[in-house]
Amino acid sequence: MYTCAGCSCLCDDIEIETEKGDVKTVFNACRRGAGIFLNYRLSRAEPMVDGKSADFEQAIEKAQELIQSSEKLAIYGLDTTTLEVQELAIKLAEKKGAYIDDNSTFCLGDFVETILKGELPSTTLEEVKNNAYVITYWGSDAYHSLSRHMSRYTYYPRGGKRQRGYEEDRFLVVIDVRKTHTAKLAKKNARFLQIRDDLELIEAFNQALDGKAPSIFVNDIPRILKEMEKADFNVIFGGLGLKYGLKGNYDPFKNLMARLNERTGVYFIPAGCHPNMRGFNELMFEKTGEINRYSFREQRSSDEFAFHKLLENDAIDTAVIIGTDPLNSLPFEYAKKLAKINTIVIDPRETFTGRFAKVVLPSAIAGVETGGTMIRSDGVRVELKPLFEKEINDERILGRLLEVV
Amino acid sequence: MPITPMEIYKLLPKTNCKKCGEQTCMAFAFKVVNRDKQIEECTPLFEEEKYTKQKEQLLEMLEPLKEASETGLIVDESKCTGCANCIVVCPVHAAEDAYGSGSGFGPKIDDPIYRLENGVLKIINVQRCRRYGKNRILCVACRENCPSDAISFLEG
Ligand code: SF4
Ligand code: SF4
Ligand code: SF4
Ligand code: SF4
Repeated sequence: MYTCAGCSCLCDDIEIETEKGDVKTVFNACRRGAGIFLNYRLSRAEPMVDGKSADFEQAIEKAQELIQSSEKLAIYGLDTTTLEVQELAIKLAEKKGAYIDDNSTFCLGDFVETILKGELPSTTLEEVKNNAYVITYWGSDAYHSLSRHMSRYTYYPRGGKRQRGYEEDRFLVVIDVRKTHTAKLAKKNARFLQIRDDLELIEAFNQALDGKAPSIFVNDIPRILKEMEKADFNVIFGGLGLKYGLKGNYDPFKNLMARLNERTGVYFIPAGCHPNMRGFNELMFEKTGEINRYSFREQRSSDEFAFHKLLENDAIDTAVIIGTDPLNSLPFEYAKKLAKINTIVIDPRETFTGRFAKVVLPSAIAGVETGGTMIRSDGVRVELKPLFEKEINDERILGRLLEVV
Repeated sequence: MPITPMEIYKLLPKTNCKKCGEQTCMAFAFKVVNRDKQIEECTPLFEEEKYTKQKEQLLEMLEPLKEASETGLIVDESKCTGCANCIVVCPVHAAEDAYGSGSGFGPKIDDPIYRLENGVLKIINVQRCRRYGKNRILCVACRENCPSDAISFLEG
């Protein structure tokens, strides 16, 4: 059995049939997960220095040189790699007094932070499977972003106190601005709330909790509350839709959760897709009390230390980019900025960012060619083991880079 | 697209001649959909020239029946994302693979009806489906829980 690092579900029941060092059949993984194993040989990165092929040793030496001479270094990415690698990257940032950041600013980092600070009650996916009655997806189309979430951990599986299957033992609520694929599953014993505004919905829940008629979903909201009161264990999965709907102000949501919890048990788990984003956030939180956008020189976190801001403000001379492809998602302006500074890309695959880099260091794919630990969206640690061990991985590379600081 | 007995009936000779062994053309149409009878058993349709056009239309309409598994189950792999909802809801899996598929994991029995192979749904033991055989029941659990309509049944 292998663990798939395709998303934050980290499914650890993947079976693989190999033939002559190649993957023949992948069992139990979803389409995205299976693709990682089946296509692991495709679009692999090659060691490069200044845009020309080099051997690995030359590339490492060049990277060491750039790091040694850097005065304003940033490390970015890390959500697709293991905790062991994240720790080394944080150590490198600390020793260099560098900036460090991941994708969680654009993703569900804020929710992870609220949970780590104890401001939202949370639980594990195993507990959800065994106990949860009302299961709410709020601003998350889990069917696409976390394919096996509902079948493996939440709505469909039987477990513990929930043996009678989804039709009797679960109540599904899907909240979204459009009828997503996940929303299509809200049939019997379920509600789909097609909303315009998350804050308006929160307000309507508050009205119902005050004993008044809610301004929207007059019948649905009281019904959902009644269902929640039937069990002492319910859960809300919050996705990017909820995050953006709240526009940076989490208090109304936190208040609603607190009020719901006066009546019954309602837990919160972020439904985000980067496999080990939560791992990075947790390591940073343990070490610094902050989850991302951190400057070790100034010993604080700030919006300005977000990687794209550092680029925008010409605040860095060197960037180490690990397991992510920022130029794929950032506007082209940033490509020019990245081309101006010294960029070191560490990635198993060819990336767009790699084309603008001074150094490209090819590494190993987590869960396929290298093992380690990751933290699932609910905070549970999951082990990964390699199918075909590759000698050069992120851990080795970062170990070499640490030699010079 | 499911094929209904009505659509077949409309194209049959509608003479209730009983040559197929059924009392009525409608009864025959039902059996064709359930694959208890072959369309060729309506001999007038194939022997009498006036039915040629109808015959051709019918043969075309029934083409997918040949590809469908014996329960009439069809999976469109191009639409499947491998979410496994269908596998976990299947009542046969719940009853016989309670700690595998029934609990959300990969199957722990040797002969599940479905499993995910290379990221998409494969039918591997169709004979275990409750729609199969003489005592079949019209279960639709898997189809109902596929958000992308990758599963269909010929009979509707
Ligand atoms: S749901 Fe996520 S972790 Fe599970 S198999 Fe699919 S991509 Fe991999
Ligand atoms: S043989 Fe054809 S025409 Fe005659 S009853 Fe059967 S279906 Fe109808
Ligand atoms: S029709 Fe019912 S028994 Fe047959 S595979 Fe689908 S869910 Fe299982
Ligand atoms: S429910 Fe649909 S998409 Fe999901 S695995 Fe089954 S056929 Fe594929």
